[in-house]
Amino acid sequence: MELFKKTLDPVVALVIIAVLDIFMFLTIGAWTVGGGETMMTGLIAQLFLGDELSRIPFWELVFPPDPGYWKIYISLGMLFGALVGALMIKEFYWRFPRHLSEWVMITVGGLLMGIGIRLAFVCNVSTFFGLTPEMNLGGYLAVSGILAGAWVGSLVYKKVLEG
Amino acid sequence: MSPVGECITAFIFGSVVGLLVQRSRFCNTAALRDAMLFKTYRNTKALLVAMMILTLGFTTFLTFGDGKPLHFDVGLNQVMGLFLFGIGMVLAGACTVSTWVKAGEGNIGAVWALLFTFIGMFLFSLLWSFSYWPPAPGTMSGEPNLAGLQLGYANAATLQEKTGIPAVVFGLVQFAVLLAIYRAIRRKETAAERVKAPAGQGAGAASAGAVASRND
Repeated sequence: MELFKKTLDPVVALVIIAVLDIFMFLTIGAWTVGGGETMMTGLIAQLFLGDELSRIPFWELVFPPDPGYWKIYISLGMLFGALVGALMIKEFYWRFPRHLSEWVMITVGGLLMGIGIRLAFVCNVSTFFGLTPEMNLGGYLAVSGILAGAWVGSLVYKKVLEG
Repeated sequence: MSPVGECITAFIFGSVVGLLVQRSRFCNTAALRDAMLFKTYRNTKALLVAMMILTLGFTTFLTFGDGKPLHFDVGLNQVMGLFLFGIGMVLAGACTVSTWVKAGEGNIGAVWALLFTFIGMFLFSLLWSFSYWPPAPGTMSGEPNLAGLQLGYANAATLQEKTGIPAVVFGLVQFAVLLAIYRAIRRKETAAERVKAPAGQGAGAASAGAVASRND
């Protein structure tokens, strides 16, 4: 199969994803990741804290932990699909960041992504593949924010790479 | 659709997306970072094409009142939040999609990024529990609320309601803008190829770009 021989053109991949995303938009809701990740955070926190978690208003009012929340399964599906793809062409192997600077950047980057998603109530996927194509004004605000952020991030990234 | 049906549909959709993203090495972070840092546009073009299709698709269905748009009010928190997210994704070298995809390829750095995304979300949930800001979707009124830095609900469907002009007309305008950006990038690429081709470096530059996106 051609798909498993060489790298697929990202334009082809994204055209297929866009068509499927329109189907999602009509049936359940457009592609999104941040909401599912938040629900997973709540479920993991519940494992550690038990009923204590509901004393934190956010998890009582905004995201009461619910394993039946469909957005979780988009993320799990992406993990599964990528695993299958990588295994089929023998691209799966354990990779570790080599330098301490990489570990630090990933840690800070991960925290900023988590905080940013919750502050905005949207992630990059809902920004580019949901809000903006719906012409939601918030999508335009989010796009300006992410462009400015990526620019600042690129400056830092360059500094670290050259540093 | 039943809740179980929704979860199964979401899983199948996610699996196809994961497979396609893994095979194409598309990355939203690279789409922005590579354009800014390296002036390579492999991922940027794919992102623009997807947004063009989605704009036409979504606004066409919104014209007829179909589809399930995100009911999020417009708020300044979206600029601030995505600004932080933008810095974070470049530092981590992955966005919300590629963290899952790279984790599926056995990338422990991506798993670490996911772990800290969860920790960041939990930290913000504690902060939210004191401030109750920004307003959660459940309490968004759809109306401007300046004290909460919220500007109300506005998208192609509300434009249609207010102006009487079909949503898809606005969609076509946005499509044209995205297409113009796409064509500007193509022109830039063609010009760059013409400069490099006589020296026989055209192919080299193209593969260097591919390596850059491979090393995300």
